[in-house]
Amino acid sequence: MTAVPTSLSHDLGLTAWQVRYQQRGFWRNRRAAFFSLIFPAMFLVIFGGLQHGNTLDVRGHLSFIDFYTPGIMAYAVLLICFNSSAMIFAALRTNGILKRVRTTPLPWLAYVGGAVGSTLIVLVLSIVALFALGVPLFGAHVPGEKMIGLLATLLLGAAAFTTLGIAAAKLVAKPENGAGLVSVITLPMVFISNVWYPMDGSPAWIQDVSKALPLRPLADGLQAAFDPRFGGTGILWRDLLPLAAWTVVGCVLMTGYLRSLARRA
Amino acid sequence: MQAIQVSEVHKSYGDVQAVRGVSFEVAQGEVFCLLGPNGAGKTTIAEIVEGHRVATSGAVSVLGIDPGSDDRGLRDRIGVVLQSSGIQEELTVGEMLEMHGRWYSRCLAPDHLIDLVELDAKRDTRAGELSGGQRRRLDLALGLVGDPDVLFLDEPTTGFDPHARRAAWSTIRSLCQTGKTVFLTTHFMDEAQFLADRVAVMVDGQIVASGPPEALGGRDELPTEIRFVLPDDVVVGELPLLAESAVSADGAAVLVTTSQGIAAANALTGWALQNRIALTRFSVSQPTLEDVYLALTETATPEEATR
Repeated sequence: MTAVPTSLSHDLGLTAWQVRYQQRGFWRNRRAAFFSLIFPAMFLVIFGGLQHGNTLDVRGHLSFIDFYTPGIMAYAVLLICFNSSAMIFAALRTNGILKRVRTTPLPWLAYVGGAVGSTLIVLVLSIVALFALGVPLFGAHVPGEKMIGLLATLLLGAAAFTTLGIAAAKLVAKPENGAGLVSVITLPMVFISNVWYPMDGSPAWIQDVSKALPLRPLADGLQAAFDPRFGGTGILWRDLLPLAAWTVVGCVLMTGYLRSLARRA
Repeated sequence: MQAIQVSEVHKSYGDVQAVRGVSFEVAQGEVFCLLGPNGAGKTTIAEIVEGHRVATSGAVSVLGIDPGSDDRGLRDRIGVVLQSSGIQEELTVGEMLEMHGRWYSRCLAPDHLIDLVELDAKRDTRAGELSGGQRRRLDLALGLVGDPDVLFLDEPTTGFDPHARRAAWSTIRSLCQTGKTVFLTTHFMDEAQFLADRVAVMVDGQIVASGPPEALGGRDELPTEIRFVLPDDVVVGELPLLAESAVSADGAAVLVTTSQGIAAANALTGWALQNRIALTRFSVSQPTLEDVYLALTETATPEEATR
């Protein structure tokens, strides 16, 4: 009998392979690739084109593209980390892949890690694509040192939405209806979170609701990096703390859900 | 050591008792088949032994390890082919086998497996584009990829056409000859008869009979049946006297049930030749596994119906 290797480095190696296989699958699924990469880029081009050269007076004559580029980056985090994770993990449960994996020596966490790692690669590509479109086409810009704040906000936003997305898979009974259900959860939040248009001047109660949800601090934090009125490194605890809190909530919910999946009846 | 040991296993879901005190052992290298109608509890037992479910009471061990203990070393040495399970539809047959192979401490080469399950032409086809039968063959290959010591096959040919079933059987048969222990569930008697060294018939959560297929339910000791049709001008009363036999007639069709099959057949054919009587549709048969199975499962039917 050959013993199964159980070292951490072996398991990390397995996880890296799972990332590769997930990536291969992702790029062959045109619909997933479209919604994760083309969809946000398309919005940026449309909005950027419509408002080209215009400025946002309520934000001290901020160029519209410097509002839209970070806003749509927040939207991309939502689509890729939350929507896709919810769909992937709902499918895992309902189509029997989980059941198959459970009878193999692959650690369940290596499978989860592969799916999450693949999602994060797609997110990085999507953010790079938004920069690559917004900067040369419409003149969006981030001062160098504020990239620190931008990346910190993106990282926490990705953590919050990925963990929440995996936990939300619990709500998706049938993956074929999942896309609609996930949109019902996320779309109202998108409208009140500084993604499509500025919330400045909206009634106080809507502001309160939107600040209590995770998308608003993500969009605000990213927009601060593009907004000349904010200086320094762009680290804004006003936005990072709520995102960290949502990450904690996401981790708790996700762990509970993943445990319930691994449990034997 | 026995490859699989199951003793006094019970499993209930709320008030429903799916498995009610099942015990059996499977020796290493043996092909063991759990045979029974749908809903008899076969899949529940299979899932307990595979480690998907935990028994309400009783003890289970596979290769000396409790499958409910989530032991990675055990999962490295078993292969499970479920009735239906998911695949990454975007990956090709070759990639699926390569990916699964990485999970085990030893693995069989994808090309070898593809050859074994006759998917050569589909190596680069995405798993999501396979037909139902090809999908099942990929499932079988995925169950084998870790070169398991114990292979679980849950209704491996359900939904196959007769030709595909024969092909799957011969694949499984050749695997059995490599010394693997195989645990099979099925509701097809011919499948059990063709593949299994030993069969246990499960009805309503219990094992009602077990043994080699040819001896199941005392089948090898059951009386021989001789059937034939008499010509119009001969009546049953004219037949020779037959020892330890019962004769019944339905019109001209006669059924002789006897524990002395050879003697009775000899007496009847000798009598017919001597008297130049043409016995048509003459046949001598043992009760089939199907006869035994139906007899075993029928007794439980009223109970089943009251559930």
